[in-house]
Amino acid sequence: MSQVNVVRSAILLLALLMLSGLGCARIPYTTTMVHEDQRVVVMLQREITPAGYTHPVQITQQQVAAILRGFSLREQQRLPLRWHAEETPPTKIFREDEVEVLAPQLADALQKVGPEERVYFELFAPGMNPRYRRDVTGGWVAVHGQLLNLTIDYFHVQQPVRTSDPYDYNYSTPWTPAKTYLLYFDPGRFYVDDSKTDWRGVDFLKFLKNAPSP
Amino acid sequence: MKGRGKWKVFRFIRILSVTPIAVPRWNKNIGFILCLACAIWFGTQLVFAADAGKLVEKDGRYVFVENMDPATKLLLERAVKQGSITQEEYDAVIRASQERTYQLQSSFKAWYDRGFNFSMNDNSFLLKIRGRFATRYTQRSRNDAWRTTGDSKDFPELLGVFGDYRANRTTNDASTFNLRTARLYFMGHLFSPDLKYLFQVAGETAENAQAPGALTMLDATVMSTHIPWLNVQVGQYKVYFNRSQINSTAAMQFAARALAMDAFTANGLNRRDVGITIMNDEEVYPVNYYFGVFNGEGPLVNRFAQFGSEEATVGCPGGATSGNPYPSPADCPANNRNLNANVRTAINQLMYTARLQWNILGRAGYGEGDIAYSEAPQMVVGGGYAYNPGLNTSTDNSFVGIDLANLNLRRSLALSGNGRILGQGIVDFSTWTLDYALKYRGFSFQAEYWFRNITRHEKGLPCLQTAVLGGPCTAFAPGQFGNSTGWSVQSGYYLIPRKLEVAARYAYWDPDTHSASDLIKELDVSLNWFLSGTYDHQIMVTYSNIAMGQGGFAIGRSAPLPAVGTSFPSGTIPLDVNAATLIENMIRVQYQIFF
Repeated sequence: MSQVNVVRSAILLLALLMLSGLGCARIPYTTTMVHEDQRVVVMLQREITPAGYTHPVQITQQQVAAILRGFSLREQQRLPLRWHAEETPPTKIFREDEVEVLAPQLADALQKVGPEERVYFELFAPGMNPRYRRDVTGGWVAVHGQLLNLTIDYFHVQQPVRTSDPYDYNYSTPWTPAKTYLLYFDPGRFYVDDSKTDWRGVDFLKFLKNAPSP
Repeated sequence: MKGRGKWKVFRFIRILSVTPIAVPRWNKNIGFILCLACAIWFGTQLVFAADAGKLVEKDGRYVFVENMDPATKLLLERAVKQGSITQEEYDAVIRASQERTYQLQSSFKAWYDRGFNFSMNDNSFLLKIRGRFATRYTQRSRNDAWRTTGDSKDFPELLGVFGDYRANRTTNDASTFNLRTARLYFMGHLFSPDLKYLFQVAGETAENAQAPGALTMLDATVMSTHIPWLNVQVGQYKVYFNRSQINSTAAMQFAARALAMDAFTANGLNRRDVGITIMNDEEVYPVNYYFGVFNGEGPLVNRFAQFGSEEATVGCPGGATSGNPYPSPADCPANNRNLNANVRTAINQLMYTARLQWNILGRAGYGEGDIAYSEAPQMVVGGGYAYNPGLNTSTDNSFVGIDLANLNLRRSLALSGNGRILGQGIVDFSTWTLDYALKYRGFSFQAEYWFRNITRHEKGLPCLQTAVLGGPCTAFAPGQFGNSTGWSVQSGYYLIPRKLEVAARYAYWDPDTHSASDLIKELDVSLNWFLSGTYDHQIMVTYSNIAMGQGGFAIGRSAPLPAVGTSFPSGTIPLDVNAATLIENMIRVQYQIFF
């Protein structure tokens, strides 16, 4: 390859890359920070494809807490680990102290969120070494019709504390990417599929009607 | 106990957060005071009763385990409800139980989290052990010039105790497997998290090595972060000078740095050196400074590793250049020893470096692509200056094959691509750099510029031929050595966020601005698959096209060759007699795991 061609190819390639870099986001991005403290972060994220959620939703923090208490999960494993993992009983997602700090913020966010946004949250706790890591349970909530969907991305995952950690010059430590978890809800009869949308969520109106008052 | 303190803070924050917001200011204050009083009054009980526990790793997952057995706790709570015990008794037994649990637990913990971790419970000591392994397959296709001429100027090979030049010549095609990275990291902190240490041991082999690699210490450094605006790092580590060298090879977009990047390190020899750096904390301050003082000789050595030749009379050069009239002082005796290499004269010299960096947007950090998929633009611009004086590129102007060579220094220069400077006597390097990086939503762009001014201590043109040993000079180099300059741009984009990246790079390098046809141009394109969405597990396929000009004059490799009378220790035919541009097309497939 001649030098002229090499230079031309390089310039063309760089130009293409720069153009593609200016393109749209391909994962949901944050639009509004609803709440942020040492314990919990709740934000609104815009979906990248039309979502058609039925937001905002008027729901109290007690109702959100009742829904959160019903969820449990199991990490989805690949085969052949899946055969073994499914013998493990699902774990409650939220402890009571976590429900107490998360529910008010989620209720507030669900009243502010738009139809093309979802409510993203992260719960923090000190990590195995609090100076470098924190324990993160995170995910997002969206309401479609009368189904409330909860997706968990991180369940007690150790994540770096410093913003510069992902590109540390000695040992770059980006956040551990989101994992896939299988979610369960108790009582299970309220955790239903919407055949039209392929959505799975809690029929929260029915659930709250039947739920015992706190 | 520190963990308990944190939980107390969280509980306190929660209590504060229930304060109504739409109330008059004095009401808010009363509410705040009441909440504060409640927190102080009940704080200890609340913390101990509900939240005390610890995070433990079990079967690869982290779970929070309360200190007290839940069955006992349930029975106690029922007992309080039924009135069998009082609330005070309940609180007391809970505290006693948790105190007992705390006393019984070990004073250290060990767990796996991106490395094996061992820590004392009070966090006064942490040891993290990590390993990094990268193996590579390389398929090269080179033009005929590699067979006929080879590279004798930029990356020459140096033989024997005289450091005689040999051209690097090969057949057209090469297929090689290589253990590119095999490293062990021992890092953590001592006494407090603000006194950090890092030891990095490497056992890898360079891609073109002709001998097996040996175990060597890459990093051995301690850093104090007690004062955020005055962090201090001492030991052996990478010099904070230019972005491309500070970036870890674990976090790159290509299988290797560009050739030009390695040539423009602060010391001109290696990206690592032994010394001290003061800097501020990048996490805290958007503008960062790095001031360093180093040996300027590369890793594991100091200035005593470079030497010259001197006759028994102080100030009279030894080796091949002693005696009158050139270039020795007039009253020096006639040459009486050729092979001495007996004097060290640059041992009072040090290298000085400075780098300034402005994080215009966010914290781009060091690392090439945007694997973090930055939601907001991360933009940084930086620049640096390094002054490395008194590098003895040969024993005075001695001729190759006549005097003992400064092998460590010469080979370091040759390995970094600065081989054209060899033979120029004692030189000072002044190197400047500017760099820029942008990361946003999986897109990254990085550019870097370098300029190196090379000052020879010997004035006049290098003497290459003398009538007899010691002079007079009958042939000189055709011109003075110029400066070196270069630049690189690279860009990448994650086709699948955090997983699949495509990247391209172009690097330009002029190793001697006074020579023609010596440019080195490199184009790289890479496809990178990050299997776990982090740098820890990746497969890279990098295509490279490198064109290396072999024009220009290089002492000992170009005509006129060094000679004394009719004796030509480097031979009579220069290595660059058939000089042509060396072209190489190469595909590198690299697998890396960092654990």
